[in-house]
Amino acid sequence: MDKFKQIIADYPFIAFIIAFGILALLPPFVLTDVYQSHLASLIFVNIIVAAGLNIVKGYCGQVTVGHVGLFAVGSYTAGTLFLYMGMGFWVTLPIAIIVTAFFGVAMGIPSFRLEGPYLALATLGGGEAIRLFIENGNFFRSTFGISDIPAPSLFGYNFDTPDRYYFISMTIMIIAVYFSFSILRSGVGRAFMSIREDPICAAAAGINVKKYKILAFILSAMFAGAAGAVYAHLPPGYIHPNNYTVIEMVTFLAMVVLGGLGHIWGGIIGAIVITIVYDLTRPLYKYQLLIFGLTIIFTILFMPKGIGGFIDRYFITKRFKAKTGAEKNVT
Amino acid sequence: MKKIKVLSSSIVLSLGLLITSYAEAATIKIGVSFRMLSDVGYKHGELITDTVAEWNKKGTINGQKIDLTLYNDECKSEKGVANATKLAYQDKVHVIIGSSCSSVTLPMVPVTEKAKVPQIIPHSTNADITKKGSEYIFRVPVSSRFYKIVQGKYTAENQGTKIAYIYGPDAAGKDFALSMQAYMKENYGVDPLYSVQSGEKETDFRSYLTKAKATNPEVLVISALMDETVRGLVQSYEVGIPKKVHRVTASIGSKVEIPTNAGSAAKGVTYAAAFAASDKRPVAQKFVKMVKNKYGVVPGHDFSQMQDLLDILEIALKKVNFSGDLAADRNAVRDAIASTKDFKGLASGPINFCAPGTPQCRDGNRTPVMIEYTRGGKNFKTKVAGKVTFNPTDGL
Repeated sequence: MDKFKQIIADYPFIAFIIAFGILALLPPFVLTDVYQSHLASLIFVNIIVAAGLNIVKGYCGQVTVGHVGLFAVGSYTAGTLFLYMGMGFWVTLPIAIIVTAFFGVAMGIPSFRLEGPYLALATLGGGEAIRLFIENGNFFRSTFGISDIPAPSLFGYNFDTPDRYYFISMTIMIIAVYFSFSILRSGVGRAFMSIREDPICAAAAGINVKKYKILAFILSAMFAGAAGAVYAHLPPGYIHPNNYTVIEMVTFLAMVVLGGLGHIWGGIIGAIVITIVYDLTRPLYKYQLLIFGLTIIFTILFMPKGIGGFIDRYFITKRFKAKTGAEKNVT
Repeated sequence: MKKIKVLSSSIVLSLGLLITSYAEAATIKIGVSFRMLSDVGYKHGELITDTVAEWNKKGTINGQKIDLTLYNDECKSEKGVANATKLAYQDKVHVIIGSSCSSVTLPMVPVTEKAKVPQIIPHSTNADITKKGSEYIFRVPVSSRFYKIVQGKYTAENQGTKIAYIYGPDAAGKDFALSMQAYMKENYGVDPLYSVQSGEKETDFRSYLTKAKATNPEVLVISALMDETVRGLVQSYEVGIPKKVHRVTASIGSKVEIPTNAGSAAKGVTYAAAFAASDKRPVAQKFVKMVKNKYGVVPGHDFSQMQDLLDILEIALKKVNFSGDLAADRNAVRDAIASTKDFKGLASGPINFCAPGTPQCRDGNRTPVMIEYTRGGKNFKTKVAGKVTFNPTDGL
């Protein structure tokens, strides 16, 4: 067991290959109907967004409330590339990521001079401006939305149903989470965290704060772009500006906060919990917002560091107890 | 002893399965997805719930129980698609009602088509919905392809062709204004004097209206959501657009809030709709009275269309001999709805469906009426200015 742990620690991508294998084999046993596959794809999209949001907000400590705008950029890049040029998923996905990265630069520039609630307001304005631009632009089909965006196909195999598209969204989610982990464990991740803890100290330690702040926005925008493209091609392939409002942004934030800001698993846990809770409360639509509000309030009250923080504390306590127990036995 | 145990448990299991399959066969499931958390949406939900409860109480549908599942789509396509998928595959409903918003109904169509579950829509007017060619879609309201003609023709022949358009960014409002502009250009060769799209949730239209006034229009088209339409009408008088300029709204003009909130500014406003509360037919007056007493509002055509939908569904469900085989039952429900001929309910004209999944067969009501407010305010009055029944292929 220790040897296996060592291999995973040395070659973390193996863990992701194992996770991919498990998730690929899961559908026949767990996903009993098409709707569950659809829901799984939505969870994967949300995980990608939350993982990106965790980079800029959780790791780098920059308050952004405009991430949903970047998600919209990813979706509409994929949608318009299909609409005007007939491009398919494999072309629209990388282009959406690149285009969204540029928007990430624009969204990140205010972070040079603004902090906290001021930065939140600036990014909120940016996100809303993107949505309103799409809504009022005939080029983007305005409020009619873009429909019939085709699902991808590979070697003649069409991923045009929710149970097939599951494999596309799951693969991209695994890759995104792998990158998220890699970033956190790299020097870049440590630079992000030092900026989060104290930007002045980070600068004194030789970290180029501006460069890393903008890099955090770019990286997180790339995640949002990928999620947006995956979402746009999700059957039946329809996007509409109504799906990128402040309410969606608050939902993404709730995922990260519930999961635990800055925790590796935070965004993932949050995305799964929020999407499932939302689905389970679907028939209780009259009380849905109340349930969400209470969930966030109780999380902040009883688990200020989210579910991720709670789990971390459990393991730290366990390790501490094991260590002190062992020391006691020695004495 | 062991054999007896095995035998008895097999019998119990078989009985259980039999009871379950019987229960499934005996229960008809109806799924609903539309914007529930708006004042009117909530009341429409109540209307459906009450009607189905009455069916169950009276055993109207051949004594079979109806299970109703209501979901809120918040007028968002993503939620509508999720609701349709859940209703079709998880809740295994026989028929789906919804959505209200065209932008939600549009992406629901491929979902219900793939799942082979009939979908009947109460309010969405966007012409593209039935053009998708699904055999499982049915539209009770009048399609925008008929509205644009009736409104365009009436306006050009009775009000004038010098038109200024102010429209909102919502799909229905924009669709109406742009379709009407295209129709006027195509049939009368006239371009709009002024055409502008307002911003989302904009409340002050005076700058647009002042510009529109400067073009000296004969007709002012205000096509937006309810609040925006009310404000547009009131502000048109504030900026001094004279009374002689005809005010026109999209079918949203049928909502009771328009004359109530716009007050005297609603007087003279014309709009095309599928129902008028001033309809003198006994069936219409009975319905208006019922809605007033039960739900506390004067019904616009959104309410009447929902009632018509439920009545059509009731007739169709009665025709179906439910077998317990979901796929076969869904097709039977589809065929039963498609067999609706000359249904005379609250709508302005008879509703007809037929088998092929074409707009000709699935745009049920082809009779929009032109309605004019003769008095605004709480005690508003309307008159029917004209009524046309179109051919199935018109406007395609």
